[in-house]
Amino acid sequence: MRFLLTSLILILGTITYCNAQNKQLLYNVKGLPQSLLNNPGTNVNFDGHVGIPLFSKFHVSAGSSGVNLFDIFDDSKPDVNRKVSSTIRRLTRNDYFKVHQQLEILSFGWRLNNGQYLSAGVYQEADMFAYFPKDPVLLVNEGNNAYLNVPFDFSDVSFTGEILTVYHIGINKKINKKLTLGVRGKLYSGIFNVSSTENTGLFTTRDDPENPNFYRHFAENINIRVNTSGYASLNNTGRTVQESTRDLLKRSFFGGNIGAGLDIGATYNLAENFRITGSVLDIGIMYQQHDVENYLYYGSYETDGIEPLFPDVAPSDNTIPYWDLFEDEVDRNLKDETVNEKYKTWRPVKFNAAVEFGFEEMFEVCDYRKTYKRRNYNLIGVHLFGVKRPRSMNYALTTYYDRKFTNNFRAKISYTVDDFSYYNVGLLLSTKIKKFNFYLAADNLIGYFNLAKSQSASIQFGMQFIFKK
Amino acid sequence: MSFNKHLKIVVLLLLFSVVIVSCVKGIDLDQTEEIALTPDLQVSLLTFDVTGIDFKDEDSGIFTPIIRDTVRLEFLDDSYIQDDLVTVEFSFKYTNSFPHPFRNKISFLSENDRTQHVVSFDIAPGDKNSPVVTDWVELIENANIDVIKKSIKMVVEIEALPNQSPFEGELKFESKGLFSFEF
Repeated sequence: MRFLLTSLILILGTITYCNAQNKQLLYNVKGLPQSLLNNPGTNVNFDGHVGIPLFSKFHVSAGSSGVNLFDIFDDSKPDVNRKVSSTIRRLTRNDYFKVHQQLEILSFGWRLNNGQYLSAGVYQEADMFAYFPKDPVLLVNEGNNAYLNVPFDFSDVSFTGEILTVYHIGINKKINKKLTLGVRGKLYSGIFNVSSTENTGLFTTRDDPENPNFYRHFAENINIRVNTSGYASLNNTGRTVQESTRDLLKRSFFGGNIGAGLDIGATYNLAENFRITGSVLDIGIMYQQHDVENYLYYGSYETDGIEPLFPDVAPSDNTIPYWDLFEDEVDRNLKDETVNEKYKTWRPVKFNAAVEFGFEEMFEVCDYRKTYKRRNYNLIGVHLFGVKRPRSMNYALTTYYDRKFTNNFRAKISYTVDDFSYYNVGLLLSTKIKKFNFYLAADNLIGYFNLAKSQSASIQFGMQFIFKK
Repeated sequence: MSFNKHLKIVVLLLLFSVVIVSCVKGIDLDQTEEIALTPDLQVSLLTFDVTGIDFKDEDSGIFTPIIRDTVRLEFLDDSYIQDDLVTVEFSFKYTNSFPHPFRNKISFLSENDRTQHVVSFDIAPGDKNSPVVTDWVELIENANIDVIKKSIKMVVEIEALPNQSPFEGELKFESKGLFSFEF
């Protein structure tokens, strides 16, 4: 048990190392193909791209809305258990932990003869999200002694997790000088999924004087369900590592559970140097049908304890098995089942909206054979990001300054306010050597000076060839 | 080298340094060794309500001054009790409306019926209109906790100590355990 708690704290602490899902540094960066994944309707200022396989984009991010390692392991306060207890009491059921990772396997795109930009690729994604299960953790850490007549609410348990491969193709079309629209179709190939989001149930210990014993314990409307897919077979201890690896690879290529989704986006130029952009990503559903296992615990029960009948033998002269009778009654009323029922999950839909203003116009060498679009060295903007989570939308608001120093080098600095931090400063650098582009972006830079006090971080980098006519 | 090239190198180095030279300060991860869950769980144990009928032999109808019953507490054998139980505080409460005193004996027995721990106390006589409450708290501290870890049965024995008054009334029993763990 202690091992589990210690592992949980370390994992949660580690999570705080690495703000998830929100890729504000890559949003509205027109020179990078990855901006098309954040807004398929972005203005594309290149004519082709090919990512270096497995290296065109790696993103890992994590966040914890209410706790960091320093809260638990502050070396100036030696009583770690007091810190754990006070942190558990301080956190709320709406505090959450999340980890997000993306690895682009293939990425390419080119401008079609009709001027539209076609982009496609494959990426692997992992996304884990859990609300802090406040009441169950409180019960396990402190027990019910200090919480008589106070219900422990099992609806606090809510988490999702998935690992999948995404195959996508998108088209970006400039409708007119003002409007660009884009859409991306996605096919999801599920590797693993876990979901437990609609739980209910209260456990209460009441000391009502009307009760026949000191306390009556109530388990009311318990309904806990954990859906999994892609877990049961891996949990099969008889399989070799090679068999499991082969199975995982098969699932990556539609050998397991599948789904489909859509990204839509648009850019509208209010003026040459003033635009609004927006996108909705992952409007998608997954059908979990293979290798599905669901763990259920449900029912209601109340007890005052065991009631001996005196004398201690039944008419048959056998001792009355009070405990067995009690256990049977509990099992009849609180059922524990494992079933194999198909289920579907919605992908965590995200939206982006931004307003961007450019200044200091760029002057390019005059060539009467080319048509030039007015561009600016400097861009400033405000970007709102939202992601749907089981209980609500989570938001992040970013302001940014994007400076193009030369045709081959740009930097973007951002300041984000979200559930993790009020002083999240991020930096993106993107450089080109001829057609080869490398970019690196990191969030919450101040947090890196002491990761123990940081509640979120993200890093992403990639390299690719970008072509311009 | 142009200003922009210098700037590019400086900024790239700066970003790399921030990411690579990032550090963790002011924490002591050795404290993980000391992390423990210490729940205090209040658990209802046995409850009953006996009257004069319970002191009569079922077959012969003859008064029997001593009655007893045994309840197996199987959870005492579970690993969380065996490995992580630190203290137990048992609370027993009798509410007596018999005008007679009783002698109570609660025994904790092992699987082979060896007595591990006994709690004995007298139950004060009461009155039909004003029952008397007798409370008893038995603390089993860490030094002595093995007596509970070795137990699996709880035997409740009540001995009536009759007097001249009619043997009529009700004897209610309540019990609970406050189990303190360190996981």
